[in-house]
Amino acid sequence: MNKFFKRMVKQTEFYVFLIIVVLSLVIQVRSGLFFANNNIVDLLRSMIVPSMYAICALLAFVSTGPDVSFPLIAALSSYLALIVTNNLGLEDTSWFITFIIGIFFGCIMGALNGFIIVRYNFPSLIVTLGTSSLFSGILLGAFEAERMNLPKNLAAFGKASLITVKNAKSGLGSTLPMTFLLMIALYIIAYLVLNKTMVGRGVYAVGGDEVSAERAGFNVKGIRFGIFVVNGGIAAIAGLSYAVMSMRYLPTEYAGGEMIVIAAIILGGTRMTGGIGTLKGCLLGTLLLTMVSNSLILLGISVYWQKVFIGAIIIIGTAVSAVQSHAGRKAKTRLKKETA
Amino acid sequence: MVDYLRRPGEKERHGDTMENDNILCVKGIKKSFGGVHALRGVDLTIKRGETHCLAGENGCGKSTIIKVISGFYKPDEGMIEVDGKEYPVMTPGSAIKEGIQVIYQDFSIFPNLTVIENLAFNQVLANKRKLVNKKEFRRIAKEAVKKINFDVDLDALVETLPVADKQLIAISRALLDNAKLIIMDEPTTALTKKEIDRLFEIITNLKENGVTILFVSHKLDEVFEISDSITILRNGENVISCPTKEMTEEKFAYYMTGRHFDAQVKKEVNEESRGNVVLEARNLAALGFEGVSFELHQGEILGITGQLGSGRTELSMALCGLLKPTAGQIFVEGKEVHIRNVSEAQKLGIALVPEDRLTEGLFLPQSIIKNITVSRLDQLANKFGILSDKKVEEESAQWVKEIGVVTKNHEFPVQTLSGGNQQKVVLARGLANHPKVLILNGPTVGVDIGAKYDIHRLLRDLAAEGMAIIVVSDDAAEVVTTCDRALVMQAGQVTGKLSAQDLSADVLTAQATVQEGGIIDE
Amino acid sequence: MRKMNSNIKRLLIILVVFVVIACATRPSEFIKIGNFQTMAKQLSEYGLMAIGVGICMISGGIDLSTVYIANLCGILAGLMMQSGGSIPLAILVALIVGIICGSFNGFLVSYLRIPAMLATLGTYQLFMGIAIIASKGSTVSGIPAEYTSFATTALFGYIPLSFVVFLLLVVVVTFIMSKTKFGTRVYLVGTNEKAARFAGIHGNAVLIRTYMLSGIMSAVAGLLSLARINSAKADFGSSYTMQCILIAVLGGVNPNGGFGTIPGIAIAVVILQMMSSYLNMFPGISNYYRDLIWGAALIGVLIMNFVLDRRRTQRLSKIS
Repeated sequence: MNKFFKRMVKQTEFYVFLIIVVLSLVIQVRSGLFFANNNIVDLLRSMIVPSMYAICALLAFVSTGPDVSFPLIAALSSYLALIVTNNLGLEDTSWFITFIIGIFFGCIMGALNGFIIVRYNFPSLIVTLGTSSLFSGILLGAFEAERMNLPKNLAAFGKASLITVKNAKSGLGSTLPMTFLLMIALYIIAYLVLNKTMVGRGVYAVGGDEVSAERAGFNVKGIRFGIFVVNGGIAAIAGLSYAVMSMRYLPTEYAGGEMIVIAAIILGGTRMTGGIGTLKGCLLGTLLLTMVSNSLILLGISVYWQKVFIGAIIIIGTAVSAVQSHAGRKAKTRLKKETA
Repeated sequence: MVDYLRRPGEKERHGDTMENDNILCVKGIKKSFGGVHALRGVDLTIKRGETHCLAGENGCGKSTIIKVISGFYKPDEGMIEVDGKEYPVMTPGSAIKEGIQVIYQDFSIFPNLTVIENLAFNQVLANKRKLVNKKEFRRIAKEAVKKINFDVDLDALVETLPVADKQLIAISRALLDNAKLIIMDEPTTALTKKEIDRLFEIITNLKENGVTILFVSHKLDEVFEISDSITILRNGENVISCPTKEMTEEKFAYYMTGRHFDAQVKKEVNEESRGNVVLEARNLAALGFEGVSFELHQGEILGITGQLGSGRTELSMALCGLLKPTAGQIFVEGKEVHIRNVSEAQKLGIALVPEDRLTEGLFLPQSIIKNITVSRLDQLANKFGILSDKKVEEESAQWVKEIGVVTKNHEFPVQTLSGGNQQKVVLARGLANHPKVLILNGPTVGVDIGAKYDIHRLLRDLAAEGMAIIVVSDDAAEVVTTCDRALVMQAGQVTGKLSAQDLSADVLTAQATVQEGGIIDE
Repeated sequence: MRKMNSNIKRLLIILVVFVVIACATRPSEFIKIGNFQTMAKQLSEYGLMAIGVGICMISGGIDLSTVYIANLCGILAGLMMQSGGSIPLAILVALIVGIICGSFNGFLVSYLRIPAMLATLGTYQLFMGIAIIASKGSTVSGIPAEYTSFATTALFGYIPLSFVVFLLLVVVVTFIMSKTKFGTRVYLVGTNEKAARFAGIHGNAVLIRTYMLSGIMSAVAGLLSLARINSAKADFGSSYTMQCILIAVLGGVNPNGGFGTIPGIAIAVVILQMMSSYLNMFPGISNYYRDLIWGAALIGVLIMNFVLDRRRTQRLSKIS
């Protein structure tokens, strides 16, 4: 039990958790509104799409490097899913069908990423920047996508709510949409795959040491390629979820979401160099940044200061992590001398 | 009952005496890569249960033959026979099935995963398991570490462990598959003396359990300590294979390099003809060493030697501004100095040729010109900081010629050069500022024979012209042939001082290869 | 040397080919002074930022905050001018703010060793935040005509002043990067930071100066934008960031650091601006196609460079 506790304290996720707890208590004390049911539901609601994106970012970072194309894969695959649904007259089928179509397209786009990155070993940041631009051009240029209403099946899915709460004091209400369950499902699946299957461990192995992974018998190229394909699928789910929650599809709302997500997972303990990063870190990091965006206002801090806060948190968080890894290296050298 | 038919020392044979007692037999292996002949017909025979050493200088083909044996390379010609069975085509899979396991210099580990996962993955993957079964992993891991009595926290992340433990993980893993033949590629490069001792204990243990070991090394003392037989390669060909007891140190050095060492070429330094003290350290200490004092005179070559972890590298780094001293003083030409960074050291006339040229010394994709002139940018620019292209190119060309870098065009990237020529570029850069003190760390690691000889001769010439030189090296042969005096370091302290007379005797950890008098240069 | 020249040659060929195609297919619209002037004015702004980002990439990092430094500087200068302050002073303040922001980036990357991507991700939020606070979330406008006239003045009546500023800075930065010891050091630090330290280069100082230079470029871009659009906003041009990175890579900057030329980036900017304006001349083809072409071009160029580089190194290894 002691060993478990010691190891937990060493993890970044623990400190993020502490910060979240402290921050939420501070906000609660100052405004009394943090733990109000509508605020919590709002928070959870705001977390849904970024959390899904966070899985994409995590998989990419752990095994290969940054992936910045997931918002545009989300936008384009959602669009295609909606178009196909409408044109094939599938509005009366289950929302699930539309989602499957979206996933299909997302995976194809992810496959493009995976192919280029694996075949040529290019830095994933630059390639996904390029494909991001490509997908944007296809969506807004070739397809001239515009604002669209949701087909019947998605509209119904969007209206259905998981939990509806009303704050007795303020009279404000909030609903938690069904897409929250999608997010939970994704995380459960991700957890099972990453921790309970060899392929999942392979993701970490490849990120830890590619050569060793190859020698051990992992299919390195296949795993890398597979990750980008999966990312495409998850992005599609996130994209459709976003449309469902907004009750309409707007192609221009997707771009730009990648940076905050990356910041969130880095805060949550994912290492830029690869090989290290957890799902709970993703959730914690996303939660923290969402809290800062949503709930600072309850502290009376004007919206204008939000970005400053977020920026400061990112800088401090990454600085601490960078200093930590340096201290770790120095300590090892000292150790070596003592045991020599 | 005593078996009089057995010769003394020979193990009793069990079973069928007709059984092939060679576990591995390769003959006539040829392998070339795009015109470069790595192996020109190599034979290697390893007896079951022995510890066989494969030795040779860098570039002799050791790594290539290992990769052929373990199935990673397909030989262009030749025969591979394992345990009596001939393999016209050897694949990594069949090698592993035959019990051949290679432990590479980088250990093939996952620093970001736990010890358990590192130990278990190979086997789990080989068994084509798709799911994670933590209990089974732990069982496999425990079994692995038991084989060598390795006490380690199974749940620790490997990156937190010291290098020696990482190696033991690699060895345990290899033993899991009931390895019959374990190939260790230069296993002691990253180990301290204590860790090497532990490794050798384990090897001895493995031997007693019937495991055959192919031990690749070029370090004389290890070869003699641990191996039963030796095979030496040079330039992709066999030079000799024989039992260790038939080998002597002088013969070993000769077979390795094809050259004898000429003690007489070395300048006879006696105390009076030395120049002034140009560099002095008094009780110098920094992270990795302490209490080091020495005086370095003009025109002399001082050797600093010791195993990894002895503090020799840290000492060299402290002398040229890469490491901040925590105690003690440094004097340059009698004046005390505080060297905060490499640039200040350069201004004081101290230059460093770093240990690892690939990561510390060179800018591989950049041109030879840039690599040579990088430390001279201040001098080659005018007072506004503007560089004169002409001056830069002239200076680079001049050094290329003087040092003898073999290249068609010094605008080519330095990564196109051979190891020896790359080292010469790093050397040229260090000399470009006409330093008073030149410190070289491992100056001929990974360098072919010809270049090694050139570099050593160059150092002696420079010393003759008055430069003070420090050679930091764990290659005692190199220290013996180039240095006038030497300091031996161990665990961060100077434990021995050797004078010129000492160096001509066989004192340094039994690696010295100098024979009195007769050394013929071919 | 040779490698850089061949890259620039390639870009120039592409430029010439493109101009020929454009002139041939849309002569009346393309070959108009007004057209060139518009192109020149627009490209000056993100061209400068692309150069800033390019320099940071050469040094082994990246600058994701360049657009927001530009916005911040524009806003601060605008606020000063709005209230009737002295224009030269406002310009000076903007440049100083650019230097401070850039140096801060450099400090995070060098002394604190934060990976550049993360550091500038943090600072971009920070700078945008400060810009929002300063501008109270709204657009800063009402810039005095004396300043905005800068955008409409043209040298010799033809060449927009903003383009002149751009060209001037291109020349200056090209000179700095290729002919000074600082420039050489930036390339070396970007190639191998450890070896640079061992060779006596003050890596931290070099990096701070590199990001500072990028900050100055951003500040000038912000000032030019202020003049042209007569306003400044905290979140303007958020898509420019990726664009700048794309341009830098297209212009020959190696994403891993150590290689790339300023003229290459400048030519890439010109090509892309021309392409953008050219597409504008086809009413049927929306601007968004530009993104498509750029994305495809980026990947195409990467692959081409990869193949050519590998062949070259193989060839040279055989000769040496």
